[in-house]
Amino acid sequence: MIRDKAIGAWQTGIILFFLIFANKILILPSLLFNNAKFEGLIAPIFLFLIELGLLFLFYKLKIKFPKERFFDVIKNNFGKVVTIIVFFLIGIYFLGKMVLLYNVTYIFFRNLIYKESNNTLFLICLLPVVNHLAICGVRTIGRTAQLFLPGVVAILIFAVVVGVFGINSSVIMEQSTFSNIALSALRHVSVFGDTIILFLFMDKINIKKGEWKVVFSFFGAGAASVMAIIVVFFLSYTYTSFLHPFAFFEILSYVKEYGGLGRLDIISMILIIFLTYFQLAIYLKAFFVCFDGIFPKLDRIYSVLTFNFIFIILIYVAVINLSRIIIYAEYYLPYLSIIAFIIVPACCFIALIAKWRKEKRE
Amino acid sequence: MDIKNEIKKIKTNLHNSIDVSDRTLEKNGAEIGFVYLKSMTDNAIFADAIYEPISRFSGEISFETVKELVQVNDVEEIKKSEITQKVLKGVVVLMFSNSDKVLAIDILKFLTRTPSEPPTSPVIMGPREGFTEDLKTNITLIRRRFYSEQLVLEEAVVGSSTQTKIAICYLDGIADPKIVKDIKKRLSKIKIDGVIDSYYLLTLLSDRPDSMLKQIGCCEKPDIISAKLLEGRVALIVDGSPIVLTIPFVLLEDLQNSNDYYTNYIYSSFLRFIRLMGIFLAVFGPGVYIALQLFHYNVLPINYLITIADTTQQIPFTPFIEILFISLLFQILYEVSLRLPSYLGLATSIVGALILGDTGVKAGLISPPTVIVVAIAKIALYTVPEQNAQITILQFVFLVLGASVGLLGIIGGAIYVLAYANTIENYGAPYLAPFSPFILSDNKDGLLKVPLSDMTNRPKSFSNEKKERTDD
Repeated sequence: MIRDKAIGAWQTGIILFFLIFANKILILPSLLFNNAKFEGLIAPIFLFLIELGLLFLFYKLKIKFPKERFFDVIKNNFGKVVTIIVFFLIGIYFLGKMVLLYNVTYIFFRNLIYKESNNTLFLICLLPVVNHLAICGVRTIGRTAQLFLPGVVAILIFAVVVGVFGINSSVIMEQSTFSNIALSALRHVSVFGDTIILFLFMDKINIKKGEWKVVFSFFGAGAASVMAIIVVFFLSYTYTSFLHPFAFFEILSYVKEYGGLGRLDIISMILIIFLTYFQLAIYLKAFFVCFDGIFPKLDRIYSVLTFNFIFIILIYVAVINLSRIIIYAEYYLPYLSIIAFIIVPACCFIALIAKWRKEKRE
Repeated sequence: MDIKNEIKKIKTNLHNSIDVSDRTLEKNGAEIGFVYLKSMTDNAIFADAIYEPISRFSGEISFETVKELVQVNDVEEIKKSEITQKVLKGVVVLMFSNSDKVLAIDILKFLTRTPSEPPTSPVIMGPREGFTEDLKTNITLIRRRFYSEQLVLEEAVVGSSTQTKIAICYLDGIADPKIVKDIKKRLSKIKIDGVIDSYYLLTLLSDRPDSMLKQIGCCEKPDIISAKLLEGRVALIVDGSPIVLTIPFVLLEDLQNSNDYYTNYIYSSFLRFIRLMGIFLAVFGPGVYIALQLFHYNVLPINYLITIADTTQQIPFTPFIEILFISLLFQILYEVSLRLPSYLGLATSIVGALILGDTGVKAGLISPPTVIVVAIAKIALYTVPEQNAQITILQFVFLVLGASVGLLGIIGGAIYVLAYANTIENYGAPYLAPFSPFILSDNKDGLLKVPLSDMTNRPKSFSNEKKERTDD
C-alpha cells in the first residue's frame, strides 16, 4: 500500500484549493453579512492576504529546508519539548476545526435531507472514508482529489453562473464601520489558516523550481472562488443574507427548477459532500502527523484509535445545533487560530533567520 | 546400457501409465530402446521420421548415426536423470545398448484448435484471429507480427506438478529491464502445485493479491498484445491458456478496445465516452435511483415523481427489496444462461424477460421504472466486459449504500473505492493513470483519442526504455 509518498506541485495545489474553498462556502458568507453587512466582503479579502503570507512563508521554508520534516525544523531551533507542545497545539487546532466542519455539514444535511437521521448514521458514513483517506496518505488524498477536481470546478462554475441570474440588487456599502469589519475578520479567523497543513506535509511535498506558480495559482483560484460565491450570495439575498445559513446551497435553491430538470440544489449538495470528505481527511492527516511527531514510536493504529475515540466523544458531547456551533466558531475557535496565525509563523520565521545566519557564517 | 532394465525403470517411474509406450530395435547386435507417451507425441512422425529410417539402416547403429538418421529437427542429447521429465513433455527418448548417451527427439503433438475470433473481443474491422491453448501457436501469432530481432521470448516453468511453461515476451530496448527482471523474480518465487490457466498468475503476480481490482491485463488477441508490446509492456503466454497476460496494467486499458484503433479517431473518442458512461450507469445507476427515491425525491422533476409514485404505490415490497430482488434475479438468469446449452438459452431469455419481468409487473410485484433501471445497469455493464466482475460487485455495494444513506453514502463509497485504487501501483504504474495522476501526453490515447500520427510517444504511466515511438 502506498503510504505517505511525496506529491508534486499540482497535487499540492489541488489540496490547497480544496482547503481554501471548502469550509468557507456554507455558513461563513451568512455570518459575515450578519456581523458586517455588505462590508463583510472585505473581511475574507483581508484574511486571504494573511493566508497568502503563510503560503509565501511556506515557500521560503521549503526552499531553505527542502527535505526536512517540519517537526525537525522546529526541533532543531527550539528543542524537543517546545516542538512537542507546538505539535500538540496544532493537533488540538485541527481537531477543533474538524468538529466545526463536521457539525456544520451535519446540521446542513439534517435540516435539508436526513431529517430523521441521527449523529450515529452520519458518523458511520463519514468516519470510515475519512480514516481510509488519511491512512492511505497525502499522495492518495492528492491523487483522488485530482480525479474529482474537474467535477468540482464544473459545479463551482455552474453555481456561480446560475447564481448570477438570481442577482436582484447591487452592493450597498458604508453600512458598517471599520471596527465591525475587523471584529468580523477576527471572529471568523478560525475558518482560515488551513495553509499551515502544508507545513506539516512539507517533507512529502516535492515542488520543482518553476512549479511554485502552480501552487500560488491554485491558492488564487480558491480565494477567487470563495469571493465569487460570497458576492453572488450577498447580491442574491441582499438584506436577508443572514437568514440563509447555507450560502452555496442557497445560491442554487434560488433557482430551484430549470427547464424541467428538477431541483438543481442537489448539485451543490454533491459538491458539499465531496468537499466535506476531503477536508476532513486532510485535517485528519494533519492530526496524524502531529500524533506521529509527539509519539514517534507508536504504530499508526494508535493515532487512528485516539482520533476516533476523541472525535466521537466530542461530537456526542459538543454542539449539534446551529446557534451553538456559531458560538463555538465565533467565540472559542478564534483562540485556537493563534496557533495557525502566530505560533507556527513565528517558529518558521525564527527557523528561517537562524538558517540564514548560519549560511552567512559559513 | 541395459535397455530393458532402463525401460522398466522409466515405466516404474511413470507408474506404468497406460499411455507410456516403448519399443526396442536390434541392429547388428546393438539394441535401441524407444520410450514415449503416445498421448503426447505425433505417432505418424515417430513411425515415418524416426523408427523407419533407423530400421531401414543397414550399417552399424550408434548414437551419432541415429542422430544423423532421424528426420526431425528438434534433437538433443540429454542426461540419464532427465529421461522421465523429457518423456512427460512429449519427447521420444532413445537409449543405446552400446552407449551411455541418451537422445531426445521432440515430436510433441496434442489436439489444439485453430486460431479463431475470441468471443469476448470481436471486431467489426480488423484482425479476427485469437490465441489458442497451444503455446507454440500463440508464439507464432505474435512472432509473425515482429520480423525484428527486438522480440525476446524467454521461458519460465511454474507449478511443481504441472510444470507449466510460460513464455515471457517483450521487446528489447523498449520494455524496462527492471520490470522484466521483477517479473522473472516473482515467477521464480511462486510456490504452487499447478498453473492450469493464466488467471492463476493474476493474483500470484499482483502487488495486492487480496484486492478486488484486476491488476494485470488479460487479452485473447495477438494484435492487441503486439500493440502492448510496442508500448513497452511485457506479455506472459501460459501454455494451455488462450489468455495472454500483460504487465504493467492500468485501468484505462480496459476502457480501450481494439476496434478503437481500426476506425475513425473521433468515433473512437465518442465510443470511449459511451463506455465511461456505461461504467457510471452500471456502477451507480441502481444506487442513485434508490437514493433519489428514498432520500432525495424532492429533487426529481414533478412529472417523473408522479410516475414513480403511481407505479410503486401498489408494490408490496420496499423499494430497496424490490431493486435487490430484480438485480439478484438477473444475476441468477445470467449464471444460468452461461451454463445452459445454447438451444436452451433462448428459453431462459423468454422465461426471464417475459414471464418473470412482464408478469411480475402485471401482478404488481415489481414496478416498471425499477425493471428499466436494473435492465439499463445490467446492459451497461457489458460496455466494458473485462471489468464485469468488479462492476457487478460495486453495483451491489453502491445499491446498499444508496439505500442506506443516499448520495452521502454513494459519494463516500466512490471516494473510498477511488482512493483505494489510487494506492495501487503495480510494477510502478499508477492504477488510475493517466487521469490520476494526470499525464497529459498519455491522455492522447485516454478518454479521447487523437489520430495515430499524433501518438509519437509511448505511455509515461509506466517505465519503458524508449519514450519516442519513431526511430530517428
